Amino acid sequence: MSATLDRRSFITLAGAGGLAVTLSSAPGAAARPAADRLQRAYVLVLDGCRPDEITPLLMPRTSALRSSGLNHPYASSVPIMETIPNHVMMMTGVRPDRSGVPANSVYDRSLGVVRDLDKPSDLKARTVIERLSRDGFTTGTVLSKEYLYGIFGTRATHRWEPAPIVPVSGHAPDAFTMAATLAMLEQHDPNLMFVNLGDIDRMGHSDVTGPVDLRLLRQAALASTDLQVGRFVDALKAAGRWSQSLVIVLADHSMDWSRPDAVISLQPAVDADPLLAGKVVIADNGGADLLYWTGAAAQHDAAVARMIAIAQATPGVLSAHDPRRTTWLRTGPVGGDVVVFCRAGWRFSDPALHSNPIPGNHGHPATKPIPFFLAGGHPRVPRGASASAEARTIDVAPTLTDFFGLGAPKGGYDGQSRLPRRR
Amino acid sequence: MTQTSRPVPRRTILASAGALTAATAASAAASAGVAAKPGQEHRVFQHGVASGDPRPGRVVLWTRVTPSPDATPGSGRGSAVDVEWEVALDERFRKVVRRGTARTSAARDHTVKIDATRLAPDTWHFYRFRVGRHVSPVGRTWTAPRATASPDNLRLGVVSCANLQAGHFSAYRHLAKRDDLHAILHLGDYLYEYGPGQYGYGQSDVDVRSHVPAHEMVSLADYRQRHAQYKQDPDLQALHARYPFIVTWDDHEVTNDQWAEGAQNHQAAEGDYAARRARAHRAYDEWLPVLMEGTAQVGDGTRLFRELTFGKLAQLSMLDLRTHRDEQVPTTTPSPVPTLEARVSDPERTITGRAQLDWLLGALRRARPQWKLVGNPVMIAPVTFAQLPTDLVDPVNDVTGILPRDGAPYNVDQWDGYTDDRRELFTHIRDRRLRDVVFLTGDIHSAWACDLPQDIATYPLSESAGVEFVCSSVTSNNLKDITGTPARTSSLVVEGIIQANNRHVKYLNFDDHGFSVLDVTAARAQMDWFVIGDRRDPAAPASWSASWATASGANHVVPVAKPVA
Repeated sequence: MSATLDRRSFITLAGAGGLAVTLSSAPGAAARPAADRLQRAYVLVLDGCRPDEITPLLMPRTSALRSSGLNHPYASSVPIMETIPNHVMMMTGVRPDRSGVPANSVYDRSLGVVRDLDKPSDLKARTVIERLSRDGFTTGTVLSKEYLYGIFGTRATHRWEPAPIVPVSGHAPDAFTMAATLAMLEQHDPNLMFVNLGDIDRMGHSDVTGPVDLRLLRQAALASTDLQVGRFVDALKAAGRWSQSLVIVLADHSMDWSRPDAVISLQPAVDADPLLAGKVVIADNGGADLLYWTGAAAQHDAAVARMIAIAQATPGVLSAHDPRRTTWLRTGPVGGDVVVFCRAGWRFSDPALHSNPIPGNHGHPATKPIPFFLAGGHPRVPRGASASAEARTIDVAPTLTDFFGLGAPKGGYDGQSRLPRRR
Repeated sequence: MTQTSRPVPRRTILASAGALTAATAASAAASAGVAAKPGQEHRVFQHGVASGDPRPGRVVLWTRVTPSPDATPGSGRGSAVDVEWEVALDERFRKVVRRGTARTSAARDHTVKIDATRLAPDTWHFYRFRVGRHVSPVGRTWTAPRATASPDNLRLGVVSCANLQAGHFSAYRHLAKRDDLHAILHLGDYLYEYGPGQYGYGQSDVDVRSHVPAHEMVSLADYRQRHAQYKQDPDLQALHARYPFIVTWDDHEVTNDQWAEGAQNHQAAEGDYAARRARAHRAYDEWLPVLMEGTAQVGDGTRLFRELTFGKLAQLSMLDLRTHRDEQVPTTTPSPVPTLEARVSDPERTITGRAQLDWLLGALRRARPQWKLVGNPVMIAPVTFAQLPTDLVDPVNDVTGILPRDGAPYNVDQWDGYTDDRRELFTHIRDRRLRDVVFLTGDIHSAWACDLPQDIATYPLSESAGVEFVCSSVTSNNLKDITGTPARTSSLVVEGIIQANNRHVKYLNFDDHGFSVLDVTAARAQMDWFVIGDRRDPAAPASWSASWATASGANHVVPVAKPVA
């Protein structure tokens, strides 16, 4: 019988490499899973990683892991190709019009501000984390970014608050994230662990050599994160968990780099329009701009048409959409009245030209491809196989519920399990 | 042609073959309009059978009947005739699943083209035709998987440029011997327009076999007779009977270096070019198992660009790069000497036509299957010299328009002569990060494996839009044949110069003839090149030459140690 905790408790452990790791656990939670709950699933998100970056030369451990299991070479992030919505889609299995989380940055009409969707209450759908907890499984979140830690809140049985946080980037380096992951593995051994490794993304954003295809910082991060993946696999095997494990490795989006002269700023353009001036707020998501009409409802349709026309006439814009009519977007009401994507090699900078100085961005269709593969020693994981079906971030939750035998939630999933059907 | 078809009730299947034989034998030749002299067996099916454009649960079936000895191709003679057809799951036709009747006449040169529907997807079928007591050879064909299926692989024989005068079609024979393919992808120059002595074997243009009619094909009768001649080649007949074909045309199906309003090999004395092309297209529609204008009807339109899908694994966009293109840019230097003619980059010039390019962009953008294969009659990989980065060239051209965008091309009949279409297509691929785009190409009588650089001058530091595999010719002359030099001598020098100046060209063979096999799985697409012996030898052997592959998501080609089979 496992010991139980009667309030959210904190423990500080000495992690691998001597790093101190503080974990918290839900009130009343079992410190470890029940003995009859043998399955283990791990979702490792290599934040911002491109599928073509996982090569035997640059990322040997990750590459070998991919070759060992079921690879989905045709895998995609889902609009908006940003971190928060795609992590939410992984854990909910539903699109943003159902989860309420379409982008990192949105205009909050009630508060009248542009803000990140980083509050637990922003997430309106039930996560697989909660569904597993309800069915007696234990869960853990080890998320390197502050806003991910924020939005998933205390949903997991056990969680780690990212630390130390790198100024500006708002994330904890992968060495610390992996130390926390291994500490949680050792201390609580949850049935499900959801881990975000943020270095690849953060180094990509700031890599000024990206636009000339050198990506020096980025490549260093890829090699470094690969070591962390290797540590994780080694730890699983050392703990004797490998044969019970499903390891899902994917990214939330990929990355594209823009030069300083390939910047789009729509705010000045809409403010120069007589109909739109002063009545449009833009939430900049790097590769995607979300435009919100704040004027009279009676002028909404005219304003949307005008915003689309202005955006489409702007160099660097790939496409502009009215989400009510672009059915594949499914960004929902939180996602703005017009969604604008940039071309590859460009970025948005709103509300001003200097608002977004970073070269690496995502959110636009060029950042759709992601790595996505299933590994682990569990018998349900195919060995050395590839599948041509398109896998998406939204498939993670259905895959997990399939693995744990939970079934679909009310209303069904928008994604589908990537495990082979049970025989 | 009127076409009727009906499904076969399951319980009648086993009895159907015998019943059909008895019924048709009783009706015999008279009712079918077949004339045969007493004591002399007239062959009604002289041109074999064929199938094409496999789709989920449907495929085009084809044959040509000769109802009377005088009803020769292009003659305009012979009575109308009803042709029965049937499709079975077994070679002995004990499990017939579809049958019908089609009427044909001299108005369509007695060809028969059926869109056989409601078949099982991803299934091998057998088919045959019957006129009275005359039964065609049995053909075998395959239907594509459903859109929701996940096939393990797709394997295509890949061919182009089969000039009957230049030799025997051993490449076809060796493909027909294989049992591991799903279909044959023919990338154009299925037949040639020239008369005897005009374009044959080697530097001296010796005719290994002579074309019929014995002059350049210009009239409708000419085109029909030439198609008929090719369809009587035993190797081509065997391959058609063995696998469904997926075809597009290049220039020689009409005449050399054709473009929208003319051709290098069309002179004023040969009449109106548009009329000539219409005749060529008419004969092509009649004589090939292909969907034109999306149907198997003959004469309802000539749109050849179309899309085929193979489950979640692959889609194949077949292009027509002759009908809608602008005229090739005149060059001050003879091909293959590179030219610095800036008009190749004029945005007003097109190789696809606006409608086809929009269709292709949409097909790639909407694609649900993993691999986006493009049946591409002429090379899209830039093959140029003296390249400059596009970041430098574009601003210069904005002001002056004096430089070809991707360097000085050696062949302006390819996409290199229409670089703005290529720029738009590659930009489209980059903007949406479309993955696993593979161009499959013919035309150039040589074997190539290339990456497709977004910016040729800075490659490989810059990105690749996909890859291109180019098959060699079945028989048409290549570099060594034209120069009259031994294989692997002067060609090596040319290949070396091209590859040194085009770092994305990873494999190049200017010397051999043969066929290729493309194998696509979720993990990779691999092209194997096979070369044949002397084209003059009707029994020429074939041997494996090289293999290159691209891993999913990689956008570059790598050598492979052995063929898939």
